[in-house]
Amino acid sequence: MSELLNTLMQDARIWQGHRHTQTTQPAHSTGYQVLDNQLGGLGWPRGALSECLLDAPGIGELHLLLPLMQRVCAEGKSVFWLNPPHTPYAPALAREGVNLDQVVLIHTEDESDFLWTLENCLRSPVTGLVMAWPGKLASREIRRLQLAAEAGSNVCVLFRERRYAEQNSPAALRLELEPGEQQELKVNVLKRRGSWSGQRCSLAMAQRADLSFREITRVVRGPWSASNG
Amino acid sequence: MLWLYLHFPHLVLDHIRRTREDQGALVVVEGSGQKVIQACPEARILGVRSGMRLKTAISLAPDLGMVRANETQEVRILEDQARWLYRYAAHIVLVPPDGLLAEIGSLQKLYGGLPAVWQTVEQGLNERQLNAWIGIGYTPLAARLIARAGKGECTADKDHILRTLSQMPLLAAEFEEKACTRLQRLGLNTLGEVFDLPPGELARRLSPELLAYMQKIQGTRPDPRTPWQPPHSFRQQADFVQEIEHTQGLLFSLQRMLAELEEDLCWRQQDTDSLRLILKHRHAEPTRLQIRTSGPEHRADHFLNLIRLRLEQHSLSAPVISMVLQVKRFLSREAPSGQDLLGETQDLNEAWHTLISRLQARLGDQALRQLSPQADHRPERAWSASEVVHKARTPRTPTEELPRRPLWLLKGPQPLTEAPTVWFSGPERISGGWWDGQRVHRDYYIAQLNSGQLAWVFRDAREGWFVHGWFG
Repeated sequence: MSELLNTLMQDARIWQGHRHTQTTQPAHSTGYQVLDNQLGGLGWPRGALSECLLDAPGIGELHLLLPLMQRVCAEGKSVFWLNPPHTPYAPALAREGVNLDQVVLIHTEDESDFLWTLENCLRSPVTGLVMAWPGKLASREIRRLQLAAEAGSNVCVLFRERRYAEQNSPAALRLELEPGEQQELKVNVLKRRGSWSGQRCSLAMAQRADLSFREITRVVRGPWSASNG
Repeated sequence: MLWLYLHFPHLVLDHIRRTREDQGALVVVEGSGQKVIQACPEARILGVRSGMRLKTAISLAPDLGMVRANETQEVRILEDQARWLYRYAAHIVLVPPDGLLAEIGSLQKLYGGLPAVWQTVEQGLNERQLNAWIGIGYTPLAARLIARAGKGECTADKDHILRTLSQMPLLAAEFEEKACTRLQRLGLNTLGEVFDLPPGELARRLSPELLAYMQKIQGTRPDPRTPWQPPHSFRQQADFVQEIEHTQGLLFSLQRMLAELEEDLCWRQQDTDSLRLILKHRHAEPTRLQIRTSGPEHRADHFLNLIRLRLEQHSLSAPVISMVLQVKRFLSREAPSGQDLLGETQDLNEAWHTLISRLQARLGDQALRQLSPQADHRPERAWSASEVVHKARTPRTPTEELPRRPLWLLKGPQPLTEAPTVWFSGPERISGGWWDGQRVHRDYYIAQLNSGQLAWVFRDAREGWFVHGWFG
């Protein structure tokens, strides 16, 4: 009995308020040292669900995953994009060094197909990363996905709207993403296994549009003001 | 030359019985539907005999399953048997409606004696739950007569075979009816007595055809036969006595058909990537299903999983009376290319094919896409989506010379509804498409909107502002 208790404690499955447990769960580094530090030095958990909660695309959410994408492709595993809201732009991905042969785009018609596809991708050994944009998901369905994710050992990131931040979720890692003033990405850890949540950090994302070395003065002032008055 | 003849006394019955799950009484009735021609053991226990009127048979066994004899079906079933026999013997002759002839004289050395050949054939018959009578003779006709009389023995002794033939009654010798009566009137009762007649007299008093027939049995006149060639495609059909209304009922037969396919493919040393399944209905157009795998495959359980998925998606439009499985496309089998000792690369490759095939079977081929950049200046044409193919290409080196582009491209440009808060770079003029009529003339800027999103916006020739991408 005590053995069982010990394993539960060690796996950090039981949340203990009085100490931060160094978990031994497998993970992939995010590629951002600042964020890794906030996540207990680990990164994206493998064999578990992660959630990114954001309001609108274009705030650097894909760049958050880009280091992982590059690593997964280099390992020869596949990256699945399930129901993305827009088209992942092939020239930009190629420029970032993502091997497009490993990228598969999947569109599903209805919710049952979505869950089925996601489950199948998660259970397959060829999958390295699944990025999914679900519509509405019941808590029960997330639980189902979480179980499927545990069967495999890949990273699964669900992109959901920020209003779901209030709801609880069985996902192992939940990040709230917000845009910052200087084009950076502000990350708020809503939940993570084995420790307190609430860490905040901000990741520089200006490089995603080559803004770091561009001076604003070099921009030919948009004719916006001219035409708009 | 030594010939082996297989006589299938009730081939249609055997064929149908092994595609059925329940083993109820079953008979084959003749074309007009009046008489029973073949009756299975279960029916015979109930008292049904071949040659009986159908009405009598039904009153003996009310739950009798009935199948109407059909010549083309019989030939097709016979060909199925030739296909497996071809694995053991090269020279095969079809003798419709119910016989197969195989030249085995040349096989004795290969199998190590006649008993081994006999055993191999018998084993093949048992595996397929077929009833057949085997006969061996030095001429095709002799083998046939012995087999049909049920006197087949595993021997290549000439005298013994001749003795068996000689003792055969005239009625079993398959003479024409007229010739048979005349011989009987002459007081002859066995084949041996006809053999003893002088040939000249036989031709003069009876008919030259009869002499020719006798000589063919004895082997003194050549009896050439055209050998059968196996077709370059695979086809299996299951006929159901009772119509099948649920997909579950099809799976039982499918399992057996796919096992045969696997065996056939192994024997051909080939793989396939597309199966064709035709479900025939009584009153409706047949349902045709094309099942595709993403890579070469030969395993039955893999195919079965794909078909099961497919059938789950499509409920049957009408009850099924028969099912055909066809394979016309064969691919050469790839030699395992795994470089490492544990074969891990091979495993991943296989897992990839399994996953993609599964997804395609359920979602359709169009649901899965792979991206690639295209050489075009216009952003909407600088990429393309294609069907998923797995090529072990060497990963390309990051192409730094490509211009900076957003990771998200909108499906179509969206009108810009608010003034951006910050402008970063621009304009980048993209003008082209005069060569194919899709003219594009735009100035692109990178700008940040109020919501904090980094957008790729453009102004076109008509002074309209649009968002074309997000820097995700």
